[in-house]
Amino acid sequence: MNKDISTPVKRADVSEKLMGTACYIGDMELEDMLYAKTLRSSEPRARLVSITYPEMPSGYFVVDKRDVPGKNIIKMILEDQPFFAEDVVNYIGEPIALIVGKDKAVLRELIAKTSIEYERLKPVFSIEEGLEADTPIYGECNYFAEYRLKKGNLKEARSRAKYICEETYETGYQEQFYLEPQGVIAEYKDGKAVIYGSIQCPYYVKNAVIECLGFAPEMVRIVQATTGGAFGGKEDYPSLLAGQAACAAIKANKPVCLLLERNEDIEVTTKRHPSRIKLKSYIDENYKLTGMEADIVLDAGAYAGLSGVVLQRAMFAAAGVYNIENLKVKGKAIATNKAVSGAFRGFGSPQAFFAIEMHMEHAAKTLGIDPLAFKLRNILKQGDKSTTGGIFREKILLSEMVDRVIQMSGYEEKKKLKNANEYKRRGIGLSMFFHGCGFTGNGERDHIKGRARLVKNEEDHIEILIANVEMGQGAQTTMRKIAAAALDIELNKVFFQNPDTDRVPDSGPTVASRTTVIVGKLVYDAAMELKTKWETGKRQEAEVQYQYPEGYQWDNDSFEGDAYTCYSWGVNAVEVEVDPITLESEIKGVWAVYDIGKSIDDRLVRGQIDGGIVQGLGYAGMEVMENRQGRFIQRSSTDYIIPTAKDIPMIQSELMCEPYSDGPFGAKGLGELTFVGSPIAYALAMEDALEMRINNIPVRPEFLMEVADDDKRN
Amino acid sequence: MVAAYRPKNLKDALEAIIYTEYIVLAGGTDLMVKKKQGAGLLPAFDKPVLFIADLEELKQINEKEGYLTIGAACSFSSLIDNPLIPALYKQVFLQIASPAVRNIATIGGNICNSSPAGDSLPLLYALDASIIIENSCRRIEIPIADFITGPGRNMLTSSELVTAIKLPVLHFDYVVYKKVSARKSTALSKVSFVAMAKLKDSRLEDVRIAFGSVAPTIVRSRDVEEAIIYNSSNGSLDKTEIISYYTTLIKPIDDQRSTAFYRRQVCKRLLVDFLGNWLC
Repeated sequence: MNKDISTPVKRADVSEKLMGTACYIGDMELEDMLYAKTLRSSEPRARLVSITYPEMPSGYFVVDKRDVPGKNIIKMILEDQPFFAEDVVNYIGEPIALIVGKDKAVLRELIAKTSIEYERLKPVFSIEEGLEADTPIYGECNYFAEYRLKKGNLKEARSRAKYICEETYETGYQEQFYLEPQGVIAEYKDGKAVIYGSIQCPYYVKNAVIECLGFAPEMVRIVQATTGGAFGGKEDYPSLLAGQAACAAIKANKPVCLLLERNEDIEVTTKRHPSRIKLKSYIDENYKLTGMEADIVLDAGAYAGLSGVVLQRAMFAAAGVYNIENLKVKGKAIATNKAVSGAFRGFGSPQAFFAIEMHMEHAAKTLGIDPLAFKLRNILKQGDKSTTGGIFREKILLSEMVDRVIQMSGYEEKKKLKNANEYKRRGIGLSMFFHGCGFTGNGERDHIKGRARLVKNEEDHIEILIANVEMGQGAQTTMRKIAAAALDIELNKVFFQNPDTDRVPDSGPTVASRTTVIVGKLVYDAAMELKTKWETGKRQEAEVQYQYPEGYQWDNDSFEGDAYTCYSWGVNAVEVEVDPITLESEIKGVWAVYDIGKSIDDRLVRGQIDGGIVQGLGYAGMEVMENRQGRFIQRSSTDYIIPTAKDIPMIQSELMCEPYSDGPFGAKGLGELTFVGSPIAYALAMEDALEMRINNIPVRPEFLMEVADDDKRN
Repeated sequence: MVAAYRPKNLKDALEAIIYTEYIVLAGGTDLMVKKKQGAGLLPAFDKPVLFIADLEELKQINEKEGYLTIGAACSFSSLIDNPLIPALYKQVFLQIASPAVRNIATIGGNICNSSPAGDSLPLLYALDASIIIENSCRRIEIPIADFITGPGRNMLTSSELVTAIKLPVLHFDYVVYKKVSARKSTALSKVSFVAMAKLKDSRLEDVRIAFGSVAPTIVRSRDVEEAIIYNSSNGSLDKTEIISYYTTLIKPIDDQRSTAFYRRQVCKRLLVDFLGNWLC
């Protein structure tokens, strides 16, 4: 294998997925398997007074908090979320119990016949209510995390400022809408719990099940089943399902399948955090952005989940791609009586980038200067410091990327020509962004310490043993390519099966583009070790563990240093046409340039780019999820609208490459980055078309109509 | 489990429904969703099901004396492919759901589902379509506006079938069809609007205007249309007055797809645009 690693190869998983032979949780049927259906809270916040179940037919039974042999708390960052509700429920849809048995239709009936008596408590529905809650859901002040970070001397910047701009930005919920709903099957055999699941993070699930059951680590085994998409949605939530199903399997002494229905999944699983971000910037007489204050509030939902870390990423991205030397950022993740907000492609950074990019545009417009020139005057360059004082060590290609996108999109001509045609109003917007690759802060160094192992058998075939999963992004293909290229052997001599925690070391979760950047490098290093000691025809192994790269530093208490060791970059342009009557928008063009270091497979990269952009355009313009009194209004696949191929034109994308010295072959992060820029470019294009300011996404025609308010104007 | 019956021909079907109350299933694209119970479970039909999609008598398309008769079990794809169907009608059908749904969803089903958001309905109202209803001993013809009595409600009894739809083949000089929905495919409408004008010697001879998804049933008023025709011929058309007439008929709601305010404004704007562009 000596051709360029970027050259596309056939995906390892493509045949079985195209042929429909891939085996998902819904396709698996173990002998004597029972099904479980979840009894859920219909109240946003209440004390459980009593539950009256109908008489259970033989072979049917209830599993609830009393059936948790270990701790009824899901192991995550804070210890607040139970597998089964204890005395209080905190959101509509919170699981109270499972009813388990052979026939799904009977289970539905039993659930319908169960009555729950509640004593209602005063609920908290919004960020505003959450900030002032007199009966907090969590702790004394009703937030799961509160952080501050400081850089430089803001006071000085404030006193030097000639202009001050202040605005608030808001973003909404977003549902991951992976193709395959969440599901697990649990089995209990000879004292050992085995979980098959549609999951991103086998060892997260394992650790959660160990605590739930109170079992020794070797008595819990997690096997990843074919996973039909995840986008972060299967990072934390599967731990809950796995613990519940494991308790049920132990009680039944039979395998138990807990598979969510599509609409159930939309309503109760984690979603992207809604945000409210206030930015106040200080600009000097040369239009240099010298200081900024940011106040970021995330709606975390009923339990902490991953909100603290999502908040950190949002805060560290508060300055966007701009070199702001004096900075104060505060952040809070607020508890509300709604489904738990969780991981979703970008993990807090899309919210922060939306705010700063809109802010820069609006500040320039207020100052009467060209927004793009204002942005370019302030962009980061190699050697500049990040929000946390870390150093951007590698070359930043941002201005070249902007030039290229301008060229590809005809940005300048379109800016001039806009609204030449009165009837259809056109607009174009351009966004600049980065994504910090891998875990935020000390995650890799202090928590994960990932390991990867390669095993060579007597036929000189290599098996990659890592805990990272193929979930549609192409990990099976990229990991094999990396190993094969490092070893200089044929790709078909390298194998990578779905991870099984009894076989693979803990290389950490499949999140944050760390699979390629961090674990890919571990696979590369293990391959190089194996290559050095290679003896043909002999079984050999090589295992490596993550080493924090030299020259970087991070202090997790003060949030100082390199929050990330590597950054990937992007510039997007989106052109829209707005129907002047209905105020619906049509996307006319999308142009994108990314620096992701070395591409491991150009076709997979293209897949991520197209998918990320489409998902971002949905986030900004189409995907509406409102919550009233704790209930999601758009909670079915009919009502929660995601884009289809007909809504998006051909996406024109290119790559530029500034390699990361510690990534495999110089690769950097990709998956999240592709999402971050398109919502902003879309919102800016809408601003351009309608000559108005947009501070909130999604931009609904309903909102634009309120602004237009014909009746008042007439 | 319920019984399913697949009649050999229309007569057989009409006889079957005399004695047994059936759920009549043509394409099933609405029914299967309504009766869905969950993955791995059969849909919850509480009565026996009569499958009529394969009845040849219900799949005919004929044109006679200026009228099109379309069999109730014609799929939208078959209508789109049929040379007898005028282009305007096809334009409406092409915006229904997705190709896969259009391949099995039937025009009769869309009518009998009687949803205020039914995609074919504003057009059928605007064209004064008639619904042909048969039972084992008679055949009657009812204007669509009388047939549909409320959201999801119509005049059909359990011993009758809708067998065909009768439409005039009309020529209009100006036609506007707009389906406003959150995306271009597989979406229910927030508002739909059909407006057609026919001119003779540059004078307005006929006008048809219908709105969908903004009231319990499709909104159309022949009285207002006649007022438009009359007033435009003597040059006294007051657009504000026309709009205020329709405003009393349009009663949209806030729901998961849109807001009452948006729907009302869009209706007004579409109407203003139509009256402004085509009538002045």
